[in-house]
Amino acid sequence: MRDTIHPRPNPIIAALYTVRDLEVDVAVIHGPAGCGFMASRMIEDAGVRVVTTSMRDSDLIFGASEPLISTLRKVKEKFDPKTVAVIGSCASMIIGEDMEAAIGRADISCNVFPIDCHGCMGDNTRGAIRAMEAAAKAGIVPREEAERQKSLFKAATRMEKDVGMASRDYLKPAKGATKHGIAKRIIKALKNGKKVAVVMVGKKELAYRFADIFLAVEEARSKLGGETLYVGNLNPDLGLPRIRRYAKDILAELGEAGISPKISGGLDEYPLCGAKSKELVDEFGPDLLVVAGIPHAYPELSPDNVLITDQPRQLANYLDSGLGLAVGEISSHALVMNVRSIVPLETGDTIREMLAEAG
Amino acid sequence: MRRIAIYGKGGIGKSTVSANVTAAMADMGLTVMQVGCDPKSDSTKLLAKGGRKETVLNYLRDNGTVDLDGVITRGYGGSLCVECGGPKPGTGCAGRGIIAAFEALEDHDVIGEHSPDVILYDVLGDVVCGGFAMPIRNGYARDVFIVTSGEMMALYAASNIAEAVDNYAADGYARLGGIILNARDVESEDEIVAKAAAEMGTGVVMRIDRDPIVQECENRGVTVVEGAPDSRQAGLYRKLAERILELSEDSEGGMRGT
Ligand SMILES: Nc1ncnc2c1ncn2[C@@H]1O[C@H](COP(=O)(O)OP(=O)(O)O)[C@@H](O)[C@H]1O
Ligand SMILES: [Mg+2]
Repeated sequence: MRDTIHPRPNPIIAALYTVRDLEVDVAVIHGPAGCGFMASRMIEDAGVRVVTTSMRDSDLIFGASEPLISTLRKVKEKFDPKTVAVIGSCASMIIGEDMEAAIGRADISCNVFPIDCHGCMGDNTRGAIRAMEAAAKAGIVPREEAERQKSLFKAATRMEKDVGMASRDYLKPAKGATKHGIAKRIIKALKNGKKVAVVMVGKKELAYRFADIFLAVEEARSKLGGETLYVGNLNPDLGLPRIRRYAKDILAELGEAGISPKISGGLDEYPLCGAKSKELVDEFGPDLLVVAGIPHAYPELSPDNVLITDQPRQLANYLDSGLGLAVGEISSHALVMNVRSIVPLETGDTIREMLAEAG
Repeated sequence: MRRIAIYGKGGIGKSTVSANVTAAMADMGLTVMQVGCDPKSDSTKLLAKGGRKETVLNYLRDNGTVDLDGVITRGYGGSLCVECGGPKPGTGCAGRGIIAAFEALEDHDVIGEHSPDVILYDVLGDVVCGGFAMPIRNGYARDVFIVTSGEMMALYAASNIAEAVDNYAADGYARLGGIILNARDVESEDEIVAKAAAEMGTGVVMRIDRDPIVQECENRGVTVVEGAPDSRQAGLYRKLAERILELSEDSEGGMRGT
């Protein structure tokens, strides 16, 4: 959507996250030093080496195949990777760099594939789609799975445009309800023997954080009573191996706490699993509904629902549409880039603290 | 200082016109700096002959900075010859190159160092992307002259350039000085070009005849003004130099006028 002017990830960043999901060893951004550096640092935390070809003005002018070739050789020497993705940038794509030819000329003995993308392609998911196509061509992901992923990216884009971060031209980061207020509401409901449904719509690794709401609410239920339903998109048999691993980790940890959530889909199906979640919730008929992760994936939210998001701008969206019980778990993403177990939510810890105080 | 840009389709005669005009102005006692803005970098070959130095962009790439002495060649009549240079065909971005070369020259205060009376940009005008439009923006050139023949493709390029100049005129940048007709002896060439010029909102400054003496001198590596000063053709170039001085504006400032 051309009209969105607040900071949003671009197709280069989307391609970068996608190669992380594909467990590529090294990502080479064919562009200036510093291109995508905030995201690159996060992706490095997740175990992928990210480098740039550190393009200079004279590379823009004379062509940048030499820096790409020498970077690839350096990458081979330093990291000895099995797979390397070369990701286009605004700079290299404007001057029409032939990344494939340079990869051929670098002639390093590992699987190197180019992702033809840049920042001006529009929807950020177009970079993810290009990455998936390139990976399928390079034999890194089965064709069928790549097609599945592509349709999920498209669904994610539709959702963001309809009700998410791309639905307005500018969203100002907002502060929502306090964690204290939210925790109190959940505790009160359980204490009064009410039915509380907890839904997580987790976007991939972010589930490591939002799944904490299950743990916290279950602790409260076991102390206070009430009835709970847990629904999460934690199908461990769907998606790329890395994403399945996330679901397995989280399910195992929840299992240890005696929680076996109802499954609404895979961790990559966040744009699609809202309807299934609602079905399960409606069947249960709760007095209080808590939706964590990507709440707007859940159809027909109402003002008495508790929403937990990691996005301050998304918070603005919720508050603007009258969803006042929205709370922000800001900076969650940075906390889950390199974890294999659930990271406590502030909301979760607030619930725990209040339980401890009550004795 | 006069800030003049000569634009036109590739091969139409821009560099020949530019070098001869520079030589003619040098003979009048003016210091002219001719800046070739074409990756072919052959704009000043008839002025500087064999002694040409590195192009600005090659120098910049190889040394990370520019040294004015390394890129300015003293040519005929004390003229200052500079070539921006650029990438090999099919690689990189020549337009970005023009921008980078201008920035480098400006950073090193080429005008303050050499105080030319005239700076003359010889610009390839087939592609008028942001880079090749650089001389007509940001205050570099003040008066733009377009070289064309009566051939359709040359006129097409000319009208594109005129449009680009028009687009920037509102920002207070360059203005169209007029059309230089470099004759190709197309039928009714004068009328065709006069009509096209009128459509571009300007007129024909002068007609330069097609004459084999141009190539004879070129083969000897000199301008007509230098190699055949008494020829009729040399007279035409001298007359053109006078016309350009009449039609252009003298303004203060460094590389960019104020
Ligand atoms: N008036 C003229 N008479 C004869 N030949 C000419 C004339 N003007 C240019 N030429 C020739 O045309 C060719 C291209 O000219 P040049 O100035 O290099 O074009 P440009 O700089 O526009 O690419 C050169 O070989 C030059 O000698
Ligand atoms: Mg030329």
